[in-house]
Amino acid sequence: MSTEVGDTTNLSEKKDFLVNSSSLKDVRSFSREVFEKFKINEELREELVLAIAEAAQNIVKHAYKDYPDTQDRMAVRISCTDKELEISFFDKGKPVEKSKVKHRAIDDVKPGGLGTFFIQEIMDSIKFKEGDKPWINNLVLTKKL
Amino acid sequence: MTYKVTEEGDTSTVFLDGEIDMDKTEGAKEVIFPLIDAGKNVNLNLSNVQYMDSSGISVLIESHQKALEKGTKLIVKDVSKSVLKVIMMAKLEQILNLE
Repeated sequence: MSTEVGDTTNLSEKKDFLVNSSSLKDVRSFSREVFEKFKINEELREELVLAIAEAAQNIVKHAYKDYPDTQDRMAVRISCTDKELEISFFDKGKPVEKSKVKHRAIDDVKPGGLGTFFIQEIMDSIKFKEGDKPWINNLVLTKKL
Repeated sequence: MTYKVTEEGDTSTVFLDGEIDMDKTEGAKEVIFPLIDAGKNVNLNLSNVQYMDSSGISVLIESHQKALEKGTKLIVKDVSKSVLKVIMMAKLEQILNLE
């Protein structure tokens, strides 16, 4: 885990993980550790952990759908000012087709399609960007504090 | 995730434990689905599940729908506060049988 400290109100932590479902618990542990360090209140912390885990899960399930045995790594960066949290994900998987990123209708009860809904419910903004090399995808989530 | 199953008449109670994410859902299905397929009513006790993501929620929906198809009943019991919050976020509190 790397730490970048600008000043007392601008903190940033970044860590990379193998793109695999078994890494999701490590993504959650990292997130909890960072939010504790950033003194985010516990209730919001667990919501944010869910949003982060869902975004990481989407990388495993969708960006690497055809590569279940990949050795690629994804990175998660959590940055915090006194006003906003910014959570960035970086991966080298299949480029995200923004038009295809949508959750199922919430009243159409069936398994699947809820991860993106949870992210939208929890976060204030979701932006898909092209990643700077070597990354392909860069998802940026923000939440006002 | 660990689990324990107890039997009483035509009802099986499955006690799940830990955090249920994409990595654990197959294990949960392997425990729950055969009981429903065997015609059992299933009580799913989640008191010791501290975290559940959308994959875990999908297992609850799939189990609930499977039980309806088989004419049995799935009751989700003793849901921890953190998991209940996720169930409510998915607007499933009126769909699933919660006790």
